[in-house]
Amino acid sequence: MKFLLKQLHKNKHLFEPGGKLEILYPLYEAQETFMFTPADTAKGPPHVRDGLDLKRTMITVILALIPPTLFGIYNAGHQYNVVNQVPDATFMMHVIQGLILVMPIILVSYIVGGLLEVAFCIIRKHEINEGFLVTGLLFPLTLPPTIPLWQVAVGIAFGVVIGKEIFGGTGFNVLNPALTGRAFLFFAYPVQISGDQVWTKVADSAHVIEGFTGATPLAVAAAAPAGTHVVETLREAGFTLSSMAGGLMGGSIAETAVIPSLIGAVILIAMGIGAWRIMVGGVIGVALCAFALNLLPADQFSPFTQLPFHYHMVMGSVVFGLVYMATDPVSAAATQRGKWIYGIMIGILIVLIRVANPAYAEGVMLAILFMNVMAPMIDHYVVEAHIRNRKAYIKSRKVSHA
Amino acid sequence: MQIKKGLDIPLSGAPKPEIIDLPESSTVAVYQEYEGLKAKVRVKEGDTVKQGSVLFINKKQPDLCFCSPVAGTVKAIEYGPRRALYRVIIEGGSKNEEESFPSYTPDQLRGVSRADILKSLLASGLLGLIRQRPFSRIADPDVTPKSIFVNGMNTAPFSPDLHVAVQGREKEFQAGLNAMTRLTDGDVHLCIARDASAPSKAVTEAAHVNIHTFAGPHPSGNSSVHIHHIDPMEPTDQVWVVKGVDLIRIGELLIAGRYPDTQLFTLAGPGVKEEARGYYRARIGTPLEAVLKDRLQDGEQRIVSGNVLAGAAVKADEHVRFAESALTVIPEGREQYFMGWLAPGINKFSVSRAYLSGWFGHKRKWDLTTSLNGSYRSMVLTGLYDKYVPMNIMVDYLVRAVLAHDTDEAIRLGILGTDPEDFALCSFVCPSKMDICGVIKQGLEEIEKEGI
Repeated sequence: MKFLLKQLHKNKHLFEPGGKLEILYPLYEAQETFMFTPADTAKGPPHVRDGLDLKRTMITVILALIPPTLFGIYNAGHQYNVVNQVPDATFMMHVIQGLILVMPIILVSYIVGGLLEVAFCIIRKHEINEGFLVTGLLFPLTLPPTIPLWQVAVGIAFGVVIGKEIFGGTGFNVLNPALTGRAFLFFAYPVQISGDQVWTKVADSAHVIEGFTGATPLAVAAAAPAGTHVVETLREAGFTLSSMAGGLMGGSIAETAVIPSLIGAVILIAMGIGAWRIMVGGVIGVALCAFALNLLPADQFSPFTQLPFHYHMVMGSVVFGLVYMATDPVSAAATQRGKWIYGIMIGILIVLIRVANPAYAEGVMLAILFMNVMAPMIDHYVVEAHIRNRKAYIKSRKVSHA
Repeated sequence: MQIKKGLDIPLSGAPKPEIIDLPESSTVAVYQEYEGLKAKVRVKEGDTVKQGSVLFINKKQPDLCFCSPVAGTVKAIEYGPRRALYRVIIEGGSKNEEESFPSYTPDQLRGVSRADILKSLLASGLLGLIRQRPFSRIADPDVTPKSIFVNGMNTAPFSPDLHVAVQGREKEFQAGLNAMTRLTDGDVHLCIARDASAPSKAVTEAAHVNIHTFAGPHPSGNSSVHIHHIDPMEPTDQVWVVKGVDLIRIGELLIAGRYPDTQLFTLAGPGVKEEARGYYRARIGTPLEAVLKDRLQDGEQRIVSGNVLAGAAVKADEHVRFAESALTVIPEGREQYFMGWLAPGINKFSVSRAYLSGWFGHKRKWDLTTSLNGSYRSMVLTGLYDKYVPMNIMVDYLVRAVLAHDTDEAIRLGILGTDPEDFALCSFVCPSKMDICGVIKQGLEEIEKEGI
């Protein structure tokens, strides 16, 4: 390893101020700190620093993303093999088929987004932030496995540039970059990202399994005819609570990964990195809104309003969105109390958009983006309340002295 | 008072509670160690000075003099950037002549006028040991503070334990407290640790002051925390702060009527040889070389004047500072480890549970180094800093207000009740390696310049 470090340092002067490749310093920095811990020391005070850095933080998020990613790959392959009636499909065949479907999407996202990120860092002369490793993986996981690769490239480019870099880069963005990219695709190219036909790749429509419609549980629930019972309608379409929680069905790549996302949530919370207040707040919000809608008279409103809270939780991307998207620390509320409000509002909006807006089957993306925009306002009021509380505290201490 | 938020830095190398007297050094140096102070030198190279003679004064407050700890001749006057005084070096002579100051008995001090006490403190420069909040500058004698906080505990690693320092100096300590009661119309608060290992009655039963006990992790020993919980400040309030160990020196001056030329300090940290870790008493301005020789571990070490959370790095050819009571030595951590971000982290201390040490490492002591353990990045995580500041302060927003130069907002968020050192733990834990202390310092300076 000493040899490797020596080789790195041998060329370091080229990238330092005055060197020939000075402009590429961010690339050198990224490469050196990827292979070796940096030699930087604290300028002090304080003269000692904790072992945690942003690299480790982001690696932990990636670690937490591995379960839904693996599940998403398996599920994409599984769906393909089942729907297209591939004979004698084994576990390995599901995985391989899934890799064929999903890996190009992830690679395009990382390569296109990564190049843009590096380009901006070079222009701005700051270090490459590891946050992109997360964005670059989150974004493809929100896409259907059938998405054209050029759209992946356009989407991540939009997310990185418009969602983040024009605000000043990592740490300054208002919106979650991955969701910004997805929202762009959703509105610019709705045909490839919504409806019933995009969630599972169909090789030859003449050979699909009998009864395949491609509809997701949310589409089924939204289309439940008046007067029927929504849970019954779902069951008839093959969606039970446990099958939806299991997640082996069509959807965006990691959308249906309910249990793997929960494993990710456990990792994030246990490591102290994910904001549990937002996650719990989101669940409370979904519950509040679902219970409130359940109270509506069933005969006057769509059957979807009667869907129980726990069905909402396992349908669509509620869990994935709350665990990985809503908790993005930069675009979420920053105050502790703000995080509760932010999470609860996201939960409420998710259910409201699902049930009340026929144009969008799923409300998670829009709910989170909307609350991203609202987060600074929530924080503003929390901070104002804090300032009043400080004043009152100082005053109360004064009185007690008199 | 029980403080919950915070963290005791598990730094190894604690000092043994035994005081060692170092041989008197013949050459000493007096530093201009007060930020924001413009000094006017009152001696020339070659001048003869007595112990307690004025070397330089504060331009803005000419009564405030800084004195020579030893009789001898002025060997050199050195200036730093922008012609600001850096230090005055004195070569000790054979005769021990000294200036005399008024002397009082401890009981007399209960009746001496405020002006007389201030006169002694100004003429000797010992007023430099009393700091005024906000801004932590030398106390302004023209201001009567609403209260005085004596810091009788210290939770940062490592500073002298008052209970050790006060041994044999009980009378001086009480005299110092008595003097403080004359300087304010309000109360003198003595804040001490609830669970001291070897408490001294001179501290726990000190007279004429309000004694408060604090328990909990660092920064429960910081004066800002004490002020916040006992007598919080409005933006226009002024409070004085003094360390208990420094009060002993003030008492010594007032009782003996001579300039207290020695300084008690701890020498500790993983960079100090185990047998050398302890309390030392030496002449003010003793060369660090005399203190550190044969006492340091091998390898490149960083010498910090003060504690590792708030002190300043000094070079080995400098001297023991007048106003600091600790020397901490830790290894420089420049070594690079392969794929560190992938390591389980069993041998790297972190409070974060993203490393194994965050789960299991809290009980043991660590040989922490100066390694940044990462590199500078954008500020990403939120809500982390608040866990380390046990005051009613939203650190994220305070930092943002300062960075945006919004001084009004910073004041509303409580910056005036703080000192940069209160945020050392925030810098410590920050994964983006933000210099939070530096940000707060910059904010305070900006406000001081603009006026409140």
